[in-house]
Amino acid sequence: MIRFEEVVKKYGDAVILDQISFEIKEGEFAVLIGPSGCGKTTTLKTINRLIEPEAGRIYVEGKDIMDANPVQLRRKIGYVIQEIGLFPNMTVAQNIAVVPKRLKYSKEEIEQITRDLLDMVNMSYEEYAHKYPSELSGGQQQRIGVLRALAASPPIVLMDEPFGALDPMTRNVLQDEIIRLHKKLKKTIVFVTHDMDEALKLADTIIFMDQGKIVQMAGPDEMLENPASDLIKQFMGKRLSENGVNSLTAADFMKSHPASAYRSDGVKKSTQIMARRQIDTLLIKNEDETYAGSVTIGNIRKFGKQAQTIGEIPVTPNAVSYTKDDAADSFEKLLDSDSDFVVVLHDNDTIAGIVTKTSMARAMADALWGDES
Amino acid sequence: MNTKILLEHLYIVFASVIVSIAAGLPLGVMASLYRPLRKPILWISELLQTVPALALLGLVMLVVGAGKTTVIIGLLLYSLLPIVHNTYLGLETIDQGIKRAARGMGMSRLDRLFSVELPLSFPMIFTGIRIATVTSVGIAVFATSVGGGGLGSIINQGIRTQNMKLILSGTLTLMAMAVIFDGVMALIEKRLNKRVSA
Ligand SMILES: Nc1ncnc2c1ncn2[C@@H]1O[C@H](COP(=O)(O)OP(=O)(O)O)[C@@H](O)[C@H]1O
Ligand SMILES: [Mg+2]
Repeated sequence: MIRFEEVVKKYGDAVILDQISFEIKEGEFAVLIGPSGCGKTTTLKTINRLIEPEAGRIYVEGKDIMDANPVQLRRKIGYVIQEIGLFPNMTVAQNIAVVPKRLKYSKEEIEQITRDLLDMVNMSYEEYAHKYPSELSGGQQQRIGVLRALAASPPIVLMDEPFGALDPMTRNVLQDEIIRLHKKLKKTIVFVTHDMDEALKLADTIIFMDQGKIVQMAGPDEMLENPASDLIKQFMGKRLSENGVNSLTAADFMKSHPASAYRSDGVKKSTQIMARRQIDTLLIKNEDETYAGSVTIGNIRKFGKQAQTIGEIPVTPNAVSYTKDDAADSFEKLLDSDSDFVVVLHDNDTIAGIVTKTSMARAMADALWGDES
Repeated sequence: MNTKILLEHLYIVFASVIVSIAAGLPLGVMASLYRPLRKPILWISELLQTVPALALLGLVMLVVGAGKTTVIIGLLLYSLLPIVHNTYLGLETIDQGIKRAARGMGMSRLDRLFSVELPLSFPMIFTGIRIATVTSVGIAVFATSVGGGGLGSIINQGIRTQNMKLILSGTLTLMAMAVIFDGVMALIEKRLNKRVSA
């Protein structure tokens, strides 16, 4: 069981965690989700005292964690991170043994645990125990990362976007495995992600955060039916438009790396980019990489003389899709709008690509006559 | 060529490198572990290298007196830079994810250092040791000027007696020694690197 009571974390004046309170029950699979920078990782790290809050209390298994020795505390809490962080100088077996060894388990016990754990993810002890991490694929490495966290049977496991760096297929397999492990071992799991599909698939309870606050804490069904804010709706919406596994998304049809410029870029530089790529519209980014709009050559001709930077020229709003949106939506937008393209954005509003009639035709051709080879 | 002189040279090189490791490794670790010590340690080890070798040996001789100890201390001061620097660099360039995982799993500071960080830095540290060894082979030539013996004495003698053969045999032996050390150690380094690459 984990309980937060009005926990506050600040960096200087910036309030990162704003008096958050919640409780995760024993054996629960809780998923922390929210936009990038909302404080998910910070929340997770306060649980094993990698970060210490300025105010509030955190209880693990009924005890205030500030009363525990941090090193001892961490040995009772599994920790899995996106970077995996296996020790390259140790074999698979040695990596798994790190915490049990420090808790003075016997050699025989450790070997038995290692065998059992590898068995659970269908990796043979004989084949893998004595390999080094560099000899494993990314998916296998993260499997070992998960096993390492489970080795000393901690009642709680923290996972920070553990599958975020894996390819979609491997991610799916590992998600299924973690569901299976959770059912079998009944651990309390706190899992961070920014992917709503992942949250809905894994969670007993979803905790939605935004700007250091908890916006909603609910089961997947409840959150789907009654999203508490527009932002949550948006997170859900991206998923709802994706009906059926086979439906194609905007990402499947877009042309990536479209020409773009920052608002602060000079007008001259921007027109040069346009000339070189032979285009009449340029996508404009804010300094934080998020999409700001597009500038046409017509507007540059009209306003370019007075302007220093491209950001001063009025932008034309474009139809926008998100990478996970249904491809059909993007087509409709493309056909409805007068512009020649639809801008496709990542979840965090940075530019992913554009859908044009050409890119659409090309992707259709691929889908129909396949580049399945 | 006199075997005794050759062995004497090797002895000076090995002894000074071993002492440099004993001093440089902890200094490099401290530079990485304690922020306030970082600048002074790196700065002093760099400063020492800018003193001309012969002058450094002379200064040490004034304090310690003539003999092998002087040479070994002089070379130690000279070899400090590559070893301290590479130890520090090796520790600083360890992957953040690995460091975070080690901390998050409940490994204490020293445990992390000895079980993970130093083993992972070892190839880098070994490069420092190689550089120190090869440089020491050359600089140990000055040993003879402060009463330490070694191959420098043969070259000196050759110069005094204008004996080309003597000068050449001393110089070629030195060069061979440096090349062999460099080659063998570079080979070991390659294997070490393979070992710890993620
Ligand atoms: N060491 C730090 N110093 C200052 N600000 C930080 C530090 N670590 C994180 N932050 C800020 O705290 C906020 C929350 O970060 P984090 O918890 O990592 O977000 P996320 O939800 O993406 O995991 C971000 O705005 C980040 O910039
Ligand atoms: Mg994060």
